[in-house]
Amino acid sequence: MSNNIARKKIDSATIISAVIVLCIYVAAFVAEQFIAPTSMLFTVLKKGATYALVAVSMNLLNGFTGIFSLGQAGFMLIGAYVYGIFTVPVAERINVYQYYNGGLVQFVLPWFVAMALSGLVAAFFAFLIGMPVLRLKSDYLAIASLGFAEIIRAVMQWDKLGPITNGSNMLRLFPSFNDFNIRAADGHVVVYLSTLVPLLIAGVCIGVIILLINSTFGRALKAIRDDEIAAEAMGIRLASHKRLAFCISSFFAGVGGAMLAMYQTTVQAKGFTTAMTYEILLIVVIGGIGSVTGSCISSFLFVAASEWWLRFLDQKQMIGSFEVPLLRNGFRLVVLRRRGPNERERTSP
Amino acid sequence: MSENVLHLDHLTMRFGGVVAVNDLSMDINKGEIVALIGPNGAGKTTAFNMVTGVYTPTEGKVVLNGQDVTGKRPDEITKLGVARTFQNIRLFSSMTVFDNVLTAKHLRRTSNFLTATFRLNAAEEKHMREETEKLLREVDLYDLKDEMATSLPYGKQRLLEIARALATQPKLLLLDEPAAGMNPQETEELGAFIKQIKDRFDLTVFLIEHHMNLVMGISDRIYVIDFGKHIAEGTPAEVQDNPAVIAAYLGVDEDESGLPSEGPRASAPAAPPEARGPLKVETRGGKGVQ
Amino acid sequence: MWNTIFPYLLTGISVGGQYALIAIGYTMVYGILRLINFAHGDVFMVAGIVMVYMAASGLPLWLCLPLVLIVTALVGFLIERVAYKPLRNAPRMSAMISAIGVSYTLQNLVLYITGGLNQLYPTIPWISDSVTIFGATTKMVTVVTPVLTILLVVALVLLINHTKIGMAMRAVSRDFETSQLMGIKINSVISMTFVIGTFLAGVASILYFTNYTTVIQTSGAMPGLKAFVAAVFGGIGSIPGAVVGAFIIGIAENIIKGLDIILFKLGVIAAPIGLATFSDAFTFALLIVILAVKPTGLFGEKTTDKV
Repeated sequence: MSNNIARKKIDSATIISAVIVLCIYVAAFVAEQFIAPTSMLFTVLKKGATYALVAVSMNLLNGFTGIFSLGQAGFMLIGAYVYGIFTVPVAERINVYQYYNGGLVQFVLPWFVAMALSGLVAAFFAFLIGMPVLRLKSDYLAIASLGFAEIIRAVMQWDKLGPITNGSNMLRLFPSFNDFNIRAADGHVVVYLSTLVPLLIAGVCIGVIILLINSTFGRALKAIRDDEIAAEAMGIRLASHKRLAFCISSFFAGVGGAMLAMYQTTVQAKGFTTAMTYEILLIVVIGGIGSVTGSCISSFLFVAASEWWLRFLDQKQMIGSFEVPLLRNGFRLVVLRRRGPNERERTSP
Repeated sequence: MSENVLHLDHLTMRFGGVVAVNDLSMDINKGEIVALIGPNGAGKTTAFNMVTGVYTPTEGKVVLNGQDVTGKRPDEITKLGVARTFQNIRLFSSMTVFDNVLTAKHLRRTSNFLTATFRLNAAEEKHMREETEKLLREVDLYDLKDEMATSLPYGKQRLLEIARALATQPKLLLLDEPAAGMNPQETEELGAFIKQIKDRFDLTVFLIEHHMNLVMGISDRIYVIDFGKHIAEGTPAEVQDNPAVIAAYLGVDEDESGLPSEGPRASAPAAPPEARGPLKVETRGGKGVQ
Repeated sequence: MWNTIFPYLLTGISVGGQYALIAIGYTMVYGILRLINFAHGDVFMVAGIVMVYMAASGLPLWLCLPLVLIVTALVGFLIERVAYKPLRNAPRMSAMISAIGVSYTLQNLVLYITGGLNQLYPTIPWISDSVTIFGATTKMVTVVTPVLTILLVVALVLLINHTKIGMAMRAVSRDFETSQLMGIKINSVISMTFVIGTFLAGVASILYFTNYTTVIQTSGAMPGLKAFVAAVFGGIGSIPGAVVGAFIIGIAENIIKGLDIILFKLGVIAAPIGLATFSDAFTFALLIVILAVKPTGLFGEKTTDKV
């Protein structure tokens, strides 16, 4: 009986969240049709959706599995490049790869195939790097994954890989979010979808992560986070489960990277720095380690604050105020963490 | 003789220069309740850790149902039907009572992460939940199933650890000081409970315990170790009268300065041996800081 | 061949010395708090910025140099008190996130003050002079750095082995709780560790920026990470390890920077193949390899050297 009641409670919570999400989608769709596409609102929604996905993927690792990885920017970089490499139109390749005779790849994939491939390639790299890295303890793992991201960044800029990656030059002219808009023959936009589609992609991906977290595998990951020794004693194989979490997290970071490429319309390896990982970590920490909803909300707030609401601080360089948006968040990261959620003392064995 | 479940073959564990377990051999047969006792620091938990794969023995073999499992990982050994509890309770602190037990069902899954994520394993998941529910009812924790595991009273947490171990469907159950921190009445109930689950789940039980009343009450056989070395074995009655055991516990023959100062050893001199029978001493202070 | 390699080797030794001075801060803090002080590289950068502004304010250089070192040490002290002390009993991950937060804050503070523009580092007489050594022309700082590094390290080792505070540091790094029980003033030991570490980072910043001439808010990130790798490579917690690791990394990185030219001149390759791209990546590859093969680093097992 009580089990049924508990079930119903969960169900009603699910329904309420589903309704809220649906309302957001409808509102975004409607807003898009009537508000000028240059509004900062859409910038925030597009970039926010991208960051939300990446933040949730990081949370899967840091929050739900207890693996403190700082490689997110590296996997985003892989995703963004894979997407770019396979979607630059053949006709434009000679312009984009101007120093490499149009590059090696001379075909295009549909955007969604390229995006899925972004995730798969990122996951594959995670699989490779996971073998040595996941054996390490917390802080060593953090620094090793960070180092890995830096290696990827250097490799992508290597001149010899230029025919594929365009070296240290920009990848551009691939389909962006604006190409989701449905246009009439004369190029006039009939239906705006450039905000709705990224929101949908992020929504579906985050939905999959939530399903995973609530499955038997999600429970196993949480068990590893809570107590590795007990989890192993309950028959959970640590290595394979950690690797699974690492690969899945990287898969979605890769997809997020592809989305970031679409948002930015250009990709350049030098943009995917450690600072980007820190930004995402900041979002995860503000939203609450181990909270998917928190990561989503804080992504949009973070993007809104840094790109929109607090922009005036940048423009005016006011002398009276000593808060730049990012600076403020930096403080918040320090301050918030002190009584952050899920803070537990570990008893040593 | 009934069939052998666990055979420890000359196990030795060294940590640097310290010999925690020294040439320990044991046999546990199917359906038995066997206790491993000894003063604090005698190497009991180390022996458990070697059986469950947490440590790989420096020398010797662990043989489980005739199969050499030395050097296997803890999760592999659990899959082979060995489950354990911990001396210092190790529940999954972020989970409810129900999820703690449900998580231990993970190892018997047939789904992979894709089928589990996309809910193609709904039948299996339902089965796992039903079994968890059944198990919680049997150990009388069902009413607390939605409580956070760490919010339970101490005795219930120990019970939950046993339930979680049972969820892995073991044939051999290892209990590391299950009565630590329990009062005499709880301890007595625990003894009955262990016997009950042993019969109900067709188990073999191997336990470490300091509460002598419990050990003497439920064990078929007892092994005694001190300083990592086997010093006696036999039925409860035999062990109680064994001079070596009495010496180990009460320090009759030993220089007092050489003894660890906490736990039962420290409490033993408080009760004069001649006033009470040796080893019938209530060792209340069993749960030290370990 | 020698003439081709020597300039890179010389720069490598010099940069290695600078990394070593930063790495000591990492390794000492890790030894005592088991915390990767992610903000250490940024303190190094802040030291550079402070120097820029002090010199610009018209203070004479002979006064600036000691002042910069004092201010840097003060910054290190404050960071520990504000961001790490309250988290001393929290899980390690929290302290690490706090460290990242401090790093982020310092970078953005400097970004705000400087407006994100490169700041020209003041020219310090004598060590900025050109000098020709074994046929290679370089700045005096290149020659001074390794000598100064060795002197400072020797002084530090003497301090740790022969003074009361040094003994307290060794005790705390061995066993935090017990040394507290023995009456060691744990707060002053930790503060002292941060002050020494950041002081040395301040010295490193003077040497480093004299060589590279400009400072920007991200200037500390890469040297900081590399110095950390050096500390891990040498065996974190070990001062000699950090120094050796830093010199190896500094030299290897600069040889790789010039590898194209070296190989070209040796006739191994016909055209440059852009290996210089990997000078940073190499450091991290080295990190991953050492962590996978020997996580304790080169000198990690010699606990007697731990601080």
